[in-house]
Amino acid sequence: MSAVTDTETPLRRGGGLARHFGFWPVVTAIVLVLIVGLLLVPVANIVGVSLSAGAKTGSIFENYVNFFSERFYYQTLINSFWVSIWAMIFAVCLGVPAAYFVNRYEIWGRGFVRAAVVLTFVSPPFIGSYSWVVLFGRSGVLTQFFNSIGVSLPSIYGASGIIFVFTLQFFPFVFLLVSSGLKSIDQSVEDAARNLGSSEFRTFRTAIAPLLVPSITTSALLVFIASFTDLGTPIILGERFRVLPVLIYGEFVNEFGGRPVLASALSVLLLSVTTGALLLQRWLSARFSYATSAIRPLQVQEQPLGKRIAATAFVFLLIGFALLPLVNIVVSSFLQSNGPVLVASFTLDNYARILDRITLPLWNTLFYTTVATMLCAIIGTAIAYIIVRRPGPVSSLLDTVVMFSYAVPGIVLGVGLVVTYHEPPFALTGTAAIIILAYFIRRLPFSVRSSVSMLQQISRDTEDASINLGAGPGRTFAKITVPLLATAILSGALLTWSNTIRELSATLILQSGTTTTVAIEIFNEVVNGNFGLASALGTVLILLTFLPLVVLFTLLGKKEEALV
Amino acid sequence: MASTSVHIDQVTKRYGDSIAVDGVSLDIAKGEFFTLLGSSGCGKTTLLRIIAGFLKQTSGRILFGNSCIDDLAPQHRNTGMVFQSYAIFPHLSVVDNIAYGLRARGLKAAEVKQKVDTYLALTRLSHLGHRKPRELSGGQQQRVVLARAMVIEPDVLLMDEPLSNLDTEMRMHLRTEIRALQRKIGVTTIYVTHDQEEALLMSDRIAVMRGGRLEQVASPHDIYNKPSTRFVASFIGENNFLPAVHRGNAEAGFVRIELPGGQFTAKLRGELPQGALEAAFRPQDIELRPLDGDGDGLVGTLTDIQFLGGTVRYAIDLGGGHLVQVAGASRTGVMLPEIGTRHRLGLSPAAIALFAPEAA
Repeated sequence: MSAVTDTETPLRRGGGLARHFGFWPVVTAIVLVLIVGLLLVPVANIVGVSLSAGAKTGSIFENYVNFFSERFYYQTLINSFWVSIWAMIFAVCLGVPAAYFVNRYEIWGRGFVRAAVVLTFVSPPFIGSYSWVVLFGRSGVLTQFFNSIGVSLPSIYGASGIIFVFTLQFFPFVFLLVSSGLKSIDQSVEDAARNLGSSEFRTFRTAIAPLLVPSITTSALLVFIASFTDLGTPIILGERFRVLPVLIYGEFVNEFGGRPVLASALSVLLLSVTTGALLLQRWLSARFSYATSAIRPLQVQEQPLGKRIAATAFVFLLIGFALLPLVNIVVSSFLQSNGPVLVASFTLDNYARILDRITLPLWNTLFYTTVATMLCAIIGTAIAYIIVRRPGPVSSLLDTVVMFSYAVPGIVLGVGLVVTYHEPPFALTGTAAIIILAYFIRRLPFSVRSSVSMLQQISRDTEDASINLGAGPGRTFAKITVPLLATAILSGALLTWSNTIRELSATLILQSGTTTTVAIEIFNEVVNGNFGLASALGTVLILLTFLPLVVLFTLLGKKEEALV
Repeated sequence: MASTSVHIDQVTKRYGDSIAVDGVSLDIAKGEFFTLLGSSGCGKTTLLRIIAGFLKQTSGRILFGNSCIDDLAPQHRNTGMVFQSYAIFPHLSVVDNIAYGLRARGLKAAEVKQKVDTYLALTRLSHLGHRKPRELSGGQQQRVVLARAMVIEPDVLLMDEPLSNLDTEMRMHLRTEIRALQRKIGVTTIYVTHDQEEALLMSDRIAVMRGGRLEQVASPHDIYNKPSTRFVASFIGENNFLPAVHRGNAEAGFVRIELPGGQFTAKLRGELPQGALEAAFRPQDIELRPLDGDGDGLVGTLTDIQFLGGTVRYAIDLGGGHLVQVAGASRTGVMLPEIGTRHRLGLSPAAIALFAPEAA
């Protein structure tokens, strides 16, 4: 006889599986099955397929030997490194001073600059690329203008164009991470250096910059990974300059059903590079982290007018270039177009023409994104709880796997899911389910991270109190943990939504005609040269991406650093 | 009332090589206010969390009444716990906080309301029922979690340093309030604190813990006046310690001991420890006498006077590196002695306790 049954008010007990095994063990098992099935098995399958014996030599490494012996193939790897490393260098060179000026100098329009950086950051890269083609392509508006006055501009196509677009697209990583790095440095550090006789630049170089090393290296590697895995931009701008993701896409979807074996080998190569970069990033941040926390963060300094003007000019020039493609999209969506040639007269034609075609892709996009976001919020919060509150081997495995999902590029995940789920009993290719599951697993880290950092700040006592009062683990999670995490869950969901709705590379691999999305439609219109329609669709997509962020920043009071 | 006695039987908790609770056995009577007292890291909170079920003991058993609770999940133990951090549910109103445990037990709304109202009144929170926790003061929040823990009519009320986050005045006030409420409800209470004044004031019995073990379990009066170990003598209240040598027995129950600077008669409390000895005596048990008197007594020089209003503290140097603290009442019209004068220290035999010295 238990003590409890003696009391007048016996405690309720949970039912079903949870009753036999406990609530959290059951949840942990479900989460593990999902993650293993959607991430680890597909990745393992790609590796397995890539190692299937070749026809010529019978060696399991034949695909890799082929790759490294044919210039047509291995040149793409070199090209990928080339554009990604240059984009990384330029993004750091532009992003660090921009962040320093915006956070330390009294430049004008600081709020506008921050909003512009966010807008650039969340806008789909492929929209930026084709917008540059509209402006500076062969028949581009500005190209023709400059030709007419006798100036010939450098080409937007090929390696230089890709580096240019990647730099402008991804420098916000550097800007945002360095900004938050600057906020974690105490003003006393600078004051002490200045007091000891250091000039401003010397202080930055010897006292501030060393503390920013983790922010700079992290953001640099994020720029590198984003550039290395981007598919839309090199397809639109690359022409004969081919990078690895473009090669994978070509091998996978072209030619009579494609060549999944070679595409798998290429995917493994891509994944190795991104995983390596992520491990390097973790090692560097751990190595150079000083775990500072600012009681009084670095303050804005008063500067002589000249410096103020120069800093403002630099920042606005950068922001101007970064925003130009977006402004161009919105403006050109209201212009008459004749294929790739835009005419300077106002019209709503483009919107009228997309109206009848947008219903299905828009519905698909909203549906997939919403379901995936909800899955992320629910499963991500549960994973965060397991990571923070139930430490142990399973918990650290989950933590590692969620981090690993950062490293898996969309195109690799797409290939992996197709390779894994194209046969019964799990024939999911071509269905909405596979796209939703792909979105879910790719964007899971947003929700997990958001809830983890909040959960670490909530005392465990609050949940213990609930358990102590007789509520089981499931009830405690629903009645106490989730309400306390509400803002973190919501902001994680808004970020997930905003990042999912513009997903292109995995969708390109996974979509069939009926499961097309707005991003895919834009991409198709661009490839077909219908810039007017693409612009109208692009404007819609930019709005959908930006709306949740407006909620995030205004209602939830988040800072733009939450994006990275 | 569902309250019960608690029996802790040889409970041990290990973390790898370190031992947090070391073979603790306790019997706590129904309705008793029992305090676990010790400095941080002594194992008192660990023991409390084992009783609540948040930690599982490595070995040993715990019984509520006659039934063993070791295999019960924490939510099924029917204990009410009050946390140091309050652990108030910040998103729920005062009423919903208090009703939480009742609703988890599936009580009907009318019953919930009636019980909640009772406890709102008992903790004088009736006018604040619909406030959110952030609108309450620290003391009010503490009363909410107290009501929340008591309203479920727990077998045992567990309190983990509930007053340590409050300011002094509120702490003083709540001590008496908690004690009065506990008496009225009659719930068995295990109270954890590091504050000896709190423990002495509130408890029926105190267990002094150190390094995971029980040093002494006794009433507040006995803990203070009859410390059974040197540690308890030094931990509770203030004591002077001097090395002592056994110089033979006096009449039955008394021994002669030699302290630096003089011989004394001490009353025996139990067995006399073998080997080296230490004598302990409290500052307020010493009488400062003029040097010309006679009889037992240490002789030393007054080196410092601290005037604290109602009491005066004297530091007496006995020579040889031995310093003794003396506390006396300050009386109107009585002159304080001068620094540098020599005095004789008088001690009654019952005021001296003898211990084996602490191993270093």
